[in-house]
Order: sequence, then C-alpha cells, then structure tokens
Amino acid sequence: MKQEIKSKPDFAFLSLHLNNGEQVIAESGSMVGMTTELTMETNMKGGLKGALKRALGGESLFMNTYTATADNQRIDLAPATPGDVEHLALDGNSVLVQSGSYMSSSPGIEVDSKWAGARGFFGGEGLFMLRCSGQGDLWISSYGAIHAIDVQGTYVVDTGHIVAFDDSLSYELKSIGGLKSLLFSKEGLVCEFSGQGRLWIQTRCSGSLVGFLHPFRSIKPQKHAN
Amino acid sequence: MQIEVQHSPAYAIAIAHLDAGESVIAEGGAMVSKDSHISVTTSAGREGQGALSGLMKGIKRMVAGESFFQNSYVAEGAAGHVTFAPTLQGDVAVHELRQGTMFIQSTSFLCSAPEIEIDAKWGGARSFFGGEGLIMIKASGSGPVAFNSFGGIKEIDVDGSFIVDTGHIVAFEDSLEFKVTSFGRGSRLNFKSLLLGGEGLVCRFEGHGRLWLQTRNTQGFGKLLGRQLPPRES
Repeated sequence: MKQEIKSKPDFAFLSLHLNNGEQVIAESGSMVGMTTELTMETNMKGGLKGALKRALGGESLFMNTYTATADNQRIDLAPATPGDVEHLALDGNSVLVQSGSYMSSSPGIEVDSKWAGARGFFGGEGLFMLRCSGQGDLWISSYGAIHAIDVQGTYVVDTGHIVAFDDSLSYELKSIGGLKSLLFSKEGLVCEFSGQGRLWIQTRCSGSLVGFLHPFRSIKPQKHAN
Repeated sequence: MQIEVQHSPAYAIAIAHLDAGESVIAEGGAMVSKDSHISVTTSAGREGQGALSGLMKGIKRMVAGESFFQNSYVAEGAAGHVTFAPTLQGDVAVHELRQGTMFIQSTSFLCSAPEIEIDAKWGGARSFFGGEGLIMIKASGSGPVAFNSFGGIKEIDVDGSFIVDTGHIVAFEDSLEFKVTSFGRGSRLNFKSLLLGGEGLVCRFEGHGRLWLQTRNTQGFGKLLGRQLPPRES
C-alpha cells in the first residue's frame, strides 16, 4: 500500500494506492472518491460493545473496510474539519487518539474504545480517546495544523486541543491555577501529561468556533404566558 | 521573551519562549498548551497597579469586547514556553514596540510582553456608527506584541492617505491619524453608497506609519452562518 498526503496543512487529504487483496479501514463518511475495483464492508469495529461506547463518545457506530479486488486501485479519504492529516507508523506500540481525530488505519491496527473510562467524560469537551495499537499505519486528522511536542517531564494542554499522544505518557485532568483562575481565566480544564513520549495537538479548537458563532444566531421569540 | 509564529498563514499559533522568571500577558481563553512549571495568574489589572485602576481597566476591556480578566503566565525558576491560538482561522503577526504605541482591533489582541501597557481606547462616538466592533486596544511601551487576523494579514506602509473597510482593520501604528467616514466623496455623507453600496463605513488613515489588514471580515462570516443556524433560546 502506497500513501500520499496532499494539500497539507490547511486542507489535507489522503490518497491510498492498493493492490489486489490489500485493505484499509476508514472512519465512516471519510471517503471522497475511489476507483471502481474496491469493495466496501461496514462493520462495528470492536464488536457491539465497543461500537456503542464509540457512539457515546460522539463517534460513528460503524467503520468501513475497503478491499481492493484488482491491482492499482486508489481511494481518497478526507476528514470532516479543515486542517491537517498526519501519518503514524506503529510498530507494536500504541497511541491514544481523540475520537474525532481518528481517520484511517491499516488492518494490523487494533482500534479499541474500552480505555477511556469515567475520567474521559470529566473533560466535558469530548475527551474520549481511542486506543490504537499493533503494527501498521494510522492516519489522524486535526482542526487547524497538527503541532507535535516531545514531552520530557510534564506538559499541560487545553483539552479541546488534544489530537493524540503516545501510550507511554500518563495524564491527569486538572484545573489551571487557583480558584480565581478556574472561574475567570476562561481556560477551563486542562490535561497534564507526564513521562516521555510524543504528543500531537491541533492549533484550533472547534468549541471556540461554535462559541464565536453562537451570538450570531437569532433569538427565539418569547412565548407569553397570558 | 521571544514570540515565535508557526503554522502560518491559515492556522497560525504564537509560541512565547520565556527565560526563567520572565512572563507573558495573554487574552483569557487563548492558551493552547504550556510547560507545567509555568504558573497562571488571573487579574483585572497589572501587578503594582491599584485595585481601582485595575478594575477600571478590566471594565474598559470588557466594553471593548475583550475579556474582563487577563492572564499572566510566569516561568517559575526555569525557562519554558506557552502556546496561544486565535479563535478563528487566520494568521498571527508580531510587532516589536520600542517606546512606541499601536492600536489593535479589540478581538485581534493575542499576547504581549509584560512591559507593554494594555488599555482599551474609545474610538470616539463615531466609531460606534461602524457597528463592526471598531474598538481598539491601545498597546504602549517596549517589547513584542502578537495579534491575529481572520484570514491572511496584509501589511501596508501608509505614506499619505489610505482607506480601509472598518471590518478589515487589524492594527496600526499611532503615528497614523484615523477617521471613520462613509464611502461618499469629500466630507458629505453619501447615503446612497452607505445604504446600498454594501460597503458600510470605512476608516481613512492619514500620515506615515504601518497598517495591518485582514483579508476576511469576522462579522460577515458570523452573519452568514448565524442566519443559517437554528434560533437560540436567549
């Protein structure tokens, strides 16, 4: 399987070239275009339980598997947000990916949604993670550019900006500063990472865009009681 | 303190590199990430200012559409960095003030050195006519100031006079005089152009100095999407 990432970094998309029998798994809705000798099969990745948990995290219940039935086939995949696409090669290690940032993977990658647990829901900003492990290729996407940081020691990230991080890093949700900062700084909850490993963050946050647009909506007329 | 800009122009961020003990002031809500040892304090004014003066500055900033509180990030004991991002798509520019003053469109301010005095400036009653948020932040002193645009940033060195749509102003040096006017000829209001031309009010700059424009207008974008969204409760 050969890959090309084009139109980086603002409107990146992924082109994959597959030969007969090769497969790729893609987030539902990410297929832009493809040659005709590819079959598509929809399944609940990680079984029914895993799929339901993904749905709770705001993710699609289903993932699609594309299989080439002839040589020299091609599929183009694009994320929902304007932004970047990054390729990660996994070699037995595992990476935790913010559920909305998972885009595609090769069949050797196990995508598991069991991990997040109660802590993930605390974020309130969709901090629901997918654990991707195994051997093969993984593609992640961002809103805005993807900015990689090699953590040595401890590092703090706003929860709305997390894309993915090495499983070697441990994390803890925290409020920033003291009580006054929590109430007035507008910084909300942050994630503190510790250990050694790579962290990928996105340079924009979809929640901020929604916050910007909210005042431009018209106001519902008030219903009078009498 | 050094401010580095990366991922220009569409999704730019500002990275403030601090030496031990140094600090940076930023708009509330702009922080993306930081080294853990960098502390955050939130206040209405700057340290060393009286409580009343700080309160007044906070109120003025709030009227200007900025956050009432500003955050100060201090590198405690060791060097480190903090990254800041604008809300919307667009670029970040850094201007080094040397005993100088500049004006920044209130929603374009991102972060600055602690030596820079930040104050909301009334554009005067006339600027309220603009209806496009032409309220400026006055930044003065010595040190770097980072500001962001919606779309790309275009620098223009004005020598003489230049006209800009009020919704596209990002920042300008205080050596430039500015006047908000309608698009008509001379000093007379041209109501036909104002009402039907779709150009609203413009800002006329005079003198010598640098001007930063943005290639998109936030109000235009907000109105376009806002009217397609379902009504809100309140």
